[in-house]
Amino acid sequence: MESNKMISRHEEGRLPAMAPLANPYVPFQLENPLKYEPRKALVRGTLFPGLDLPFMGMVNQQEQPVTPSTELQTLAFMIQELALYLDTHPEDKEALELYQTYQKMLHKGMMEYGEDRPLNHKLPTKGDRYRWLDDPWPWEYAANKED
Amino acid sequence: MFVYEKKLQYPVKIARPNPRLASVIISQYGGPDGELGASLRYLSQRYSMPFDDQKALLTDIGTEELGHLEMIAAIVHQLTRNLKEKDIENTPLEAYFVDHTNGVYPTAASGFPWTAASMQVKGDAIADLTEDLAAEQKARVTYDNILRLSDDPDVNDVIKFLREREVVHFQRFGESLQQLRERLNQKNVYYMNPSFDM
Repeated sequence: MESNKMISRHEEGRLPAMAPLANPYVPFQLENPLKYEPRKALVRGTLFPGLDLPFMGMVNQQEQPVTPSTELQTLAFMIQELALYLDTHPEDKEALELYQTYQKMLHKGMMEYGEDRPLNHKLPTKGDRYRWLDDPWPWEYAANKED
Repeated sequence: MFVYEKKLQYPVKIARPNPRLASVIISQYGGPDGELGASLRYLSQRYSMPFDDQKALLTDIGTEELGHLEMIAAIVHQLTRNLKEKDIENTPLEAYFVDHTNGVYPTAASGFPWTAASMQVKGDAIADLTEDLAAEQKARVTYDNILRLSDDPDVNDVIKFLREREVVHFQRFGESLQQLRERLNQKNVYYMNPSFDM
């Protein structure tokens, strides 16, 4: 019975007991929902197992290879997913803490990575060469394939 | 303001070019339920939202959709890289090629160019958020249909990611609509236009 409760805790949400007619309702995700590990969250496209609703069981089983670039993508994805959650659940303290933890990690990661591979024009870069021009650009195959 | 970040939200690494798949996936760049329409819809609707939580959500999801627009472009670009005339002749990409060569242009798979008529800004927060729920569903189905037509694992890896984002966005728009409603007259939430009359 306990395990059944666990399932409904993250796969189901809260609806008002009584509600105005002629309105669409989406169940509200409960606070402190079950979460995937960051690398799994990235390939599944969501942090939350309860929202992971694939088409015909097609899911990405293989995690992305660990590279400096996918590290940043994973951290940024955690922040994005938590931000959308916090936009509608601003009182969830645990989610806020997690969001702030990943912000610190991403900031540190971007500072290191961006020193010689600039991610934007604002983070400090090093050296006497203007590296913003450097290929590959993000949409190119060479920028994404494993090193 | 917007700041460009020189990385994709999720890796796109398509090993094998494929003109047929490119001719289908371009629809999520400039088709009726594609990422260009999604980003412009949300980033335009946010100005007439009455409360901070809706302004934040539309900004955050609209910005993410711009990242998805770039990912779709990356898929099309990689699927058409190094294609020559002989690779394109007698494939469904021929009609696109004659107008755009191997460039990335916002059009539906049918050839109809992107149009703002495929989205709406009604200036009423309830109507706009309800449109957004439908928009996420339609984008999801487009990704379902792409998965039906593609057997390339490199493409499908990215499409599955993008499709799942639509499910998450639908959830958040639904929650946001509920939060908006809770601030309105519970006897009649349609008593007035919350974007115009408050």
